[in-house]
Amino acid sequence: MRFLPHTDDDRRQMLQAMGVNAIDALFADIPREFHIAPGSLKLPPAASEAAIIRAFTEAAESNRHTGNHRYFLGGGTYHHFIPAVVDYVISRGEFLTAYTPYQPEISQGTLQALFEFQTMIARLTGMEVANASMYDAATATAEAALMARRITRRGKVLLAHSLNPRYRAVTAQYLSRLDGQVNALPCPEFDTDGAALATAIDDETACIIVQYPDFYGSVYDLGELRRACDAHGALLVVAFSDATAFGLITPPGAMGADIVVGSGQALGIPMGLGGPHIGLFACKQKFVRQMPGRVCGMTEDADGKRGFVLTLSTREQHIRREKATSNICSNQGLMCTANACYLALLGDAGLREVALRSAAALERLVQGLPPQISAARGPRYNETVLSFRDHEARQGFLTAARKAGIFAGIALEQIDTTADNRHLLVATTEMTEAEDIADYLTILEQST
Amino acid sequence: MNAANYSGTRGLMHEEPLLFERAHRASEAIALPGLADAEAPAALQAFLRNEEAGIPGLSEPETVRHFVRLSQWNHGIETGFYPLGSCTMKYNPRINEQLVRLPGLAHIHPDQPEDTVQGALALLYQLQHALGEISGLPHVSLQPAAGAHGELLGIMMIRAWHDKRGDHKRRIVLVPDSAHGTNPASAALAGMKTVEIKSAANGQIDLEVLRAHLNDEVAALMLTNPNTTGHFESNIAEICHLVHEAGGLVYGDGANLNAIVGKARPGDMGIDCLHINVHKTFSTPHGGGGPGAGPVAVNDTLAPFLPVPRIEKAKDAYRIVHEDEASIGPVFGSLGQVGVLLRATAYIAAFGREHIHRIAEDAVLNANYMLHRLESAYHVPFPGLCKHECLLTDAHQNRHGVKTLDIAKRLIDLGFHPMTVYFPLIVHGAMLIEPTETESRQAIDAFCDAMLEIAAACEQGDTEALHAAPLHPIRRRLDETQAARRPVLTWPKHSTGG
Amino acid sequence: MTIPADLQYTKEHEWVRIEGDTATLGITDHAQEALGDIVFVELPEIGRQLAPGEAFAVVESVKAVSDVYAPVGGEVIEVNTLLESEPEKVNTDAYGEGWIAKVRMNGETAELLDEATYTTYLEE
Repeated sequence: MRFLPHTDDDRRQMLQAMGVNAIDALFADIPREFHIAPGSLKLPPAASEAAIIRAFTEAAESNRHTGNHRYFLGGGTYHHFIPAVVDYVISRGEFLTAYTPYQPEISQGTLQALFEFQTMIARLTGMEVANASMYDAATATAEAALMARRITRRGKVLLAHSLNPRYRAVTAQYLSRLDGQVNALPCPEFDTDGAALATAIDDETACIIVQYPDFYGSVYDLGELRRACDAHGALLVVAFSDATAFGLITPPGAMGADIVVGSGQALGIPMGLGGPHIGLFACKQKFVRQMPGRVCGMTEDADGKRGFVLTLSTREQHIRREKATSNICSNQGLMCTANACYLALLGDAGLREVALRSAAALERLVQGLPPQISAARGPRYNETVLSFRDHEARQGFLTAARKAGIFAGIALEQIDTTADNRHLLVATTEMTEAEDIADYLTILEQST
Repeated sequence: MNAANYSGTRGLMHEEPLLFERAHRASEAIALPGLADAEAPAALQAFLRNEEAGIPGLSEPETVRHFVRLSQWNHGIETGFYPLGSCTMKYNPRINEQLVRLPGLAHIHPDQPEDTVQGALALLYQLQHALGEISGLPHVSLQPAAGAHGELLGIMMIRAWHDKRGDHKRRIVLVPDSAHGTNPASAALAGMKTVEIKSAANGQIDLEVLRAHLNDEVAALMLTNPNTTGHFESNIAEICHLVHEAGGLVYGDGANLNAIVGKARPGDMGIDCLHINVHKTFSTPHGGGGPGAGPVAVNDTLAPFLPVPRIEKAKDAYRIVHEDEASIGPVFGSLGQVGVLLRATAYIAAFGREHIHRIAEDAVLNANYMLHRLESAYHVPFPGLCKHECLLTDAHQNRHGVKTLDIAKRLIDLGFHPMTVYFPLIVHGAMLIEPTETESRQAIDAFCDAMLEIAAACEQGDTEALHAAPLHPIRRRLDETQAARRPVLTWPKHSTGG
Repeated sequence: MTIPADLQYTKEHEWVRIEGDTATLGITDHAQEALGDIVFVELPEIGRQLAPGEAFAVVESVKAVSDVYAPVGGEVIEVNTLLESEPEKVNTDAYGEGWIAKVRMNGETAELLDEATYTTYLEE
């Protein structure tokens, strides 16, 4: 077995050194009745490296992917360009095969990368601090709700309908066994009305959670929500799906968000059928001791040299156990390095260009829509909803597009189960070429 | 110091400033695809960011050098021995890295049509089946993103089962005092009350104490077996029986599955629900703290409550089930940490049914061999056979003013990553050593030699190097008090270089 | 380790100085030493009503957390905001600048020990 270094001689000698005759003697503490015979599990036979490569390659090639299809899919996961350097950096064994940096002297690489990541995420979202990641945007949203409950000592959490339904579902899941209530607030079709939502905030409200740009791509003002939160002592939690947006538009922090959560997938991480991605979590400095998850801080070593450590660990499960701010232990560590590397390569200017191209592609697509198709109105970043005459019209278009190698959008009801089955959630990025948009529009024109 | 053992070097180890301290490009961005000369749509004009975020942009060569230099300040399993108890730091096959980067697995969207990702679904389904078989708990959710996430899901399902039967008063989860901190934290997050049960003098579950805590309010016992002292709870059948008899279920923390994989199955012992850390037992890389994955396997009792979305096989096609009335619903935004899970699929395939048990055999052999070599020099709190890890303490070295922390830091100077220190909490000055099955006898002997050298130095009163350690890495002991007292978590925007 | 004679103590290692109807509360030298370098003190809100024995503050070191229990009942009338920026005062001056809160007493108290009894308790 190629992953096991011992020869049979090694094993024999080691057993002999211990005065044990056979390996099975080392398992004598497991009651006999539970021993299973080697080879008795119903698993496939051992495969050689070559055979595994063949099987995986066949499986992979049977899938449609960005190499042979053009993607207009979003809904929380986006097809952005990933510079080769990002994957190289996170493939380095020293990053890839290290554990959580519990021994800081020999983990300064991971730790400095985390510190850089935290700084850049805080700056991108317009917040003061960020943690060293949550699992994904959905669980980060749930953790934000829990954190707001701790800070305000209130139990009521408000969720805007225009928050990604998956973030809503996971948040409701996390809160459903705890005291307090979770209220879903209606929104205008495919949009968010901050002023209308603000009226639902009252003195029992721990937080309101909105998405910006919202699930349907809408960009709107958070001012009324901020004022209502101030008036009632509630927290404003803002979620997002495509982090590249803040290369171009005003980040939630600049509009007064208390906690900002979202996905970092757009920042250099492959779509990978939904994971591993990364949940980003940023907040105001004053809330830092209620923040969930690991966090890296700057300090000095015994020689007075700058260094980094995991800090504020008393919030965490390994010390505070049932009173911890979260149960999270393993997080998305390596993905922090991916995000940091991506951001370092792009910088402010590159990120702005990614965002501009993503937004401009959507704009061009919407401008070219035939009259029988309507797009959701109002400012959008890189995502919107197209509405068809009926279900058949939409399906006809999706089928025609697929024949042309285009995944033209997500049937909205697949994620937002309350939606009619005639809408399509469509996203663009800098990977969307002018030709792709032209083809999209031609097929749309011809098929509907 | 035994120079032969010392593998550290500072030659050509570079200091590297923060990204923010480097000169960075003000305007020129990397060449991007898509619409050139794009302008912000008119409708967005009112929302444009009016101040740059302050993300430093570097050229590609500078970026590569920056991160490669940082990487060199890290120790990884590819660099050397990494015997962190409870963490199962084993070799991560490079082939798995190559496989998950195949475009047909890496660059696919979670919401593209099901029939266009059948290959990926087939591999995940294969993993579901394998985990069910290995655990003896046939129904598997791949959704949990990590072990703690699996614990949360497990307790949620256990609670749902009690509630479904109308038994709403079962809100207590029993957790041994030796448990991982995630156990009580996960139970609390599921709205349960944790009650800690005190371990017996041998570090194992005390049946009498357990009996005394069982009543009609107990929903579950959370159990790690082998436990966190590295020992197998031989009373496992009786433990499960007692809990079941009292109307509760048994949750298994599968963090230590590496010790028994292919040798025995938690499901056969009476465990109802188990999470499996694939980043431990099935060798997916830890990535400096993640991503991992914590699939949960359950028996027939809990199967209806498994979360959605999940993968099912229908005739010749795999489908993703998004809705199911009995399901507790989602705990994650997608199917799971797919890329991590696929690595585990490949790992299990490499061993197959013929060899899977050899993982546990060599892991247990190595741990017992280390215990044998070290027990004369270090205090062993719970003597006897260990499983995949062995537990020592600093009791003997305390007499010379040396603590576990000093031993750990000294190991760094001798070229090794330290073991897990000060865990489990029930043992004073704990040192939990897990060699895993992928270390050679030579590597294990070298580590034992270093440990014995440290013990000998203590006996001789030659402890200066122990207190000063580590001297060789890029940084010496760091001031954690300062970090926690006045937390600096981000680089100030107006410092050097912005 | 010091144990001033003019204070009273609890078995959970809090001290209380009673002057009129005002009680000043903190943790003992023994407690701060056991915890190690204090990095954070979570102070109670002013106006909060405390029952004797109720956890009213949290003291944290790098790797440990400890609740602080009220030796007496009453209303919190003042908290030591100096600890927000200099939590180390609990280490360096546990009975002085390291005080945590002042309470207007309502007459209820937890089991309080005098200096001699507390000293004996620590020795046991």
